[in-house]
Amino acid sequence: MKKIETTIEKLKSDIADFYKPDQHHFMVMNAVDMGEKMEVQWFFSDYVYPCETTCFFAIINPAEEIPSIKEVVASAWVAEAELVDLMNIKIENTEKGFVLEPDFESGPLRKKK
Amino acid sequence: MGKQYEIPVGAQHISLLEPLHFKFTTVNEKIKSTDANVFYVHRGIELACCSKFKFRQVSFVVGRVCGLCSISHSTAYSQVAEKLLKIEIPARAKYLRMLVIELDRIHSHLLCLSHVAENSGFEALFMKTMQYREFSMELLEAVCGNRVQYDFAIVGGVSRDLKPEIGQLILKRLKNFMPQLEELVDIYQNNWTLSLKNKGIGVLTKENAMRLNVVGPFARAAGLAIDVRNETEDLLPWKEVGFEMITDTAGDVHARNMLRLREIYVSIRIIENIINGLPESALITETKAFPDGEATVRLEAPRGELFYYAKGNKTQILERLKIKAPTFSNVAAMAETFSGNEYGSVPAIIASYDPCLSCTAR
Amino acid sequence: MKTFFKALGNVLKKPVTTKYPFEQTYKPDDYRGLIGFEESLCIWCRRCEMACPPGAIVFSQDMEGQQAYHYNRAVCIYCGECVRSCPKEGALFQTAEPAPCALKAENINNGWNKLFDEAIASREAYAAEKKRKAAAAKSGEVKKDTENKEGS
Repeated sequence: MKKIETTIEKLKSDIADFYKPDQHHFMVMNAVDMGEKMEVQWFFSDYVYPCETTCFFAIINPAEEIPSIKEVVASAWVAEAELVDLMNIKIENTEKGFVLEPDFESGPLRKKK
Repeated sequence: MGKQYEIPVGAQHISLLEPLHFKFTTVNEKIKSTDANVFYVHRGIELACCSKFKFRQVSFVVGRVCGLCSISHSTAYSQVAEKLLKIEIPARAKYLRMLVIELDRIHSHLLCLSHVAENSGFEALFMKTMQYREFSMELLEAVCGNRVQYDFAIVGGVSRDLKPEIGQLILKRLKNFMPQLEELVDIYQNNWTLSLKNKGIGVLTKENAMRLNVVGPFARAAGLAIDVRNETEDLLPWKEVGFEMITDTAGDVHARNMLRLREIYVSIRIIENIINGLPESALITETKAFPDGEATVRLEAPRGELFYYAKGNKTQILERLKIKAPTFSNVAAMAETFSGNEYGSVPAIIASYDPCLSCTAR
Repeated sequence: MKTFFKALGNVLKKPVTTKYPFEQTYKPDDYRGLIGFEESLCIWCRRCEMACPPGAIVFSQDMEGQQAYHYNRAVCIYCGECVRSCPKEGALFQTAEPAPCALKAENINNGWNKLFDEAIASREAYAAEKKRKAAAAKSGEVKKDTENKEGS
């Protein structure tokens, strides 16, 4: 697995440079709660053998808003909606209510103090 | 000028097998746009695996995420745990895992085909396909000890061995099944009333498939040649046992049916190759280490690509486990494929896309 | 058209359903059934209790130190992890009989939860009692030693 570090400011341009629809395949977004900070990961794979998984990751403060990659990758809204519900982070243009009911307390996967 | 309606196909519907919710905006029966959500069966499995269960027990918990692809989840978790523990499993365990994955694929594809027939209105074909599927459940009970929850793949190997007489029983039953499979292929291909409901319905083009990142038979029927068995060889030797990629070009419900039937032929050939050439070795690799670091694994479940990410911190309990089900990747394409079709064909399209909501909203 | 005639022909054939429970279904002889326990071979290491995923085995301890084995067939998932983790061959084994249904009088759910908590508490009580006796014995020895020294 290849890991590439990026930041919130450079995220859209990094992924727009990397992702080509006929070569790469967007899998899922993930977030790991490390206490004070949070590591958010974007996973891609490619269509030829031997396939390699590429992971873009960014270490952020949980209160910051992450830009969305919906214009670059058309099917990313599902993964972003899931993280907003389960991890209680803010992503641009995404609302709660896809994986959990809208009136459920959000962020059940965060570490309890 | 037509009248605009908003019709929900809600969590409880007479033709839905899975608790999805779609809200269609239609103009006089033609669908214009769709809203979707999946919050009905969230059980909190990722949280439980990182707080309550030890890492060796997680393979049994994760096998209960889904009832149709239970072996795919427990095999993928065992592979990612073995990567974190840095151990290699014996050769016989690898081939036995592939055997059960292919038997599982046969029964899952026959179930999906029978539901497409039922939702298209052809109840007799639904009953016939289910009758022909029964032999695969009995074979799985003979190999794994139970019909639906196999508990077969554990961290370090497999839990049971394959006795030679069970191997001969599998070969005999598969030989009995071949003429039945020919009969099913004949009906699904040539029946005129079924083709009215299936041909040209729910079309997904190859450009849209690439743009929306779809996986599984849904993508292969549109012409996109994507299959995890073709892309990774490091953990399970698929090409050695005779795997072949099957694609189609039409992208409609009829093409997906025929593709699933052709995949069953490939699975039967893989099973025969495995039973005739099974190597002799141990079944489990013992280790006393704890998982450390992070790792990812991809595996081909019957519905598409399954992805696992795990992170360990040198204790008995994992730090983070992330599961991505194949239906999760297809939801976006699903919401776009409905546009342009008639409202009456919605049940057949949903069944042909083969949703598994227990995997999606775990 | 062929399918239509075949469907009509099915009216004359007998149905494929197995009339369970009057006819038995296919059952292999290594079906994963109930877990059996052989008390004379057990060494009371409690590894099966630590390995069980749903927590269907628990050991309780009375004040003399003798442990007792409790097993709940409704919580068990019949995976066989306990059999694989047992260091003594033959103390735990998996039979091929399916579990019988539980009756209301057995109180198998709420009764088990209470039994589980009581068993853990009894083990902790025994461990605390053992620690107290060891501390009392040690201070009693020191007192006797100092008395002997003063006496002689």
